Amino acid sequence: MTLEMLAIDAERAYPPRISGFTQEFWTALGQGRWQTSCCKSCGKQTFPPKPVCPHCWSTDMGWADMGTGGILYSWTRIHAAPAVFAPEAPYACGIVDLDSGIRLACRLVERDDLPLKVGMPVEMLVLQYRDGPLFAARPVDGSKT
Amino acid sequence: MTKAVAIIGASAIPVGRHQTADEEAIQQLEHEIMTRLVVEAVRDAGVDKQDIQSLVFTLPRPYTRQKYFHTFLMGQLRLSCRGNVMEVMGNGMTAALAFDQACNDIMLGRSEVSLALGINMESAVSAAEHMMSSMRTTGDVDFHTSAGFTPIAWYAMDAMRYMHEYGATREHLAAVAVKNRHHASLNPLAQFRKPITMQDVLGQRPIVEPLGLYDVPPRGDGAACLVLASEDVARELGRPYVLVRGRGFCHDGTHQISDMPNDMIAFTSAQQASATAYEQAGIGPNDIDVAELYAPCTIVEVLVSEAVGLVQRGRGAQAALDGETRLGGRIPISTSGGLTSRGHPAYVTSLYNYVELADQLRGRAGERQVSNARFGLATGELGNYNAALIHVLEAKA
Repeated sequence: MTLEMLAIDAERAYPPRISGFTQEFWTALGQGRWQTSCCKSCGKQTFPPKPVCPHCWSTDMGWADMGTGGILYSWTRIHAAPAVFAPEAPYACGIVDLDSGIRLACRLVERDDLPLKVGMPVEMLVLQYRDGPLFAARPVDGSKT
Repeated sequence: MTKAVAIIGASAIPVGRHQTADEEAIQQLEHEIMTRLVVEAVRDAGVDKQDIQSLVFTLPRPYTRQKYFHTFLMGQLRLSCRGNVMEVMGNGMTAALAFDQACNDIMLGRSEVSLALGINMESAVSAAEHMMSSMRTTGDVDFHTSAGFTPIAWYAMDAMRYMHEYGATREHLAAVAVKNRHHASLNPLAQFRKPITMQDVLGQRPIVEPLGLYDVPPRGDGAACLVLASEDVARELGRPYVLVRGRGFCHDGTHQISDMPNDMIAFTSAQQASATAYEQAGIGPNDIDVAELYAPCTIVEVLVSEAVGLVQRGRGAQAALDGETRLGGRIPISTSGGLTSRGHPAYVTSLYNYVELADQLRGRAGERQVSNARFGLATGELGNYNAALIHVLEAKA
């Protein structure tokens, strides 16, 4: 599944480490592809991607697309931020239940016309910073989908 | 047959700002505070130095200059032990684990008298700097911290969800802060003792929406020491003591968030750990007279009090507003003032909760005394209550 890319003219405040295993995820994300690890033994997806299936402990893991849309389970707006994030504060973060079944937590991109609200539809997108990508969610107009 | 364990002594410094900045000429040294507290607690217990055969310390903060603090303190006190001397760490659960391990040493017969003790100094480090470390403790450091999550941001999302599901308002949550400040006003160990009103709470600046400054814990320093003993020793001393009647633990197999959607505000590990603790004690939640919960924010007290069965699901905040959880109410919760007002020196916070229960259940809580208090409940946690460690305590005269 392909996500919209939003260019950010800054570097990530606290960039994730990339391992031999997770580089598949981050490289794909940088190209707008939205996928996670999927167990070839029990068939379950897991997020964040993991080399060992937490459900059946199989090490035979592949990759599978995730849904790009979901519902906002909850959210907050962080005013008191750690030193490296202080220049961005206040910023919103939330928990998203993807249509494809995975629950995740990420940064939220706010829209003036659609105030954040528990239960509202959201879409995933890529924040393309100068030094690499992060994933985020943003409200969508439910009446138009 | 394992032995029954009793709390027979306690001491603590008032929670507050004790840590000195590096540039100050006269410094507060952790071991000087701690050795005085050990002597005070052991005098309170009425046992001798040589009776102590195990000490379980909470890990000091990285800001404490003296490393290997536990063995250093053994030297300061010239205390030799054949049971156990160690430091434990489990983030917010650290002090609950120290208490639990000190109990284990007695139950296993390694010692007749054990100390659970520790010091947490951090207030001279700014919140923004401290959060550079604490942001790495909750969630996945690569996948969550990179988005800017902080520890209390997770509780804020609990609050937003709770308000959505049960129609609770910020006023409902604020009632917990007002109630706990009232309790703290009666507690000499509390960090903030000036009474506050609902309007005071609602008027504070936002920290993590919907929580404002008075909904979240202040930063502070603290140190405490508990003296535990086998019940045989406690009985021989001929004074009131507190018996550990039940213990429950549960880790729900997730950290902060499950990628399989679940009810995040049910705090199922607290439900299950409390069920185990009640069963061991042979009682139910209705038998509890006073509870000291590990609840860093107003919303957490609400959710834990529901999870451990002290109030009905969805009624926790309303119960605070109605005075049910206030001193004099049906089930007084956080009579110490709780983490928002008594204070939250995180690695020793649960020690303060046991200190409060030791006072309540020995009839020494002064103006805060819950009349005829027999059973007390204490909780500790990890993550977003992904793990809970719960003790049921009983007063013994």
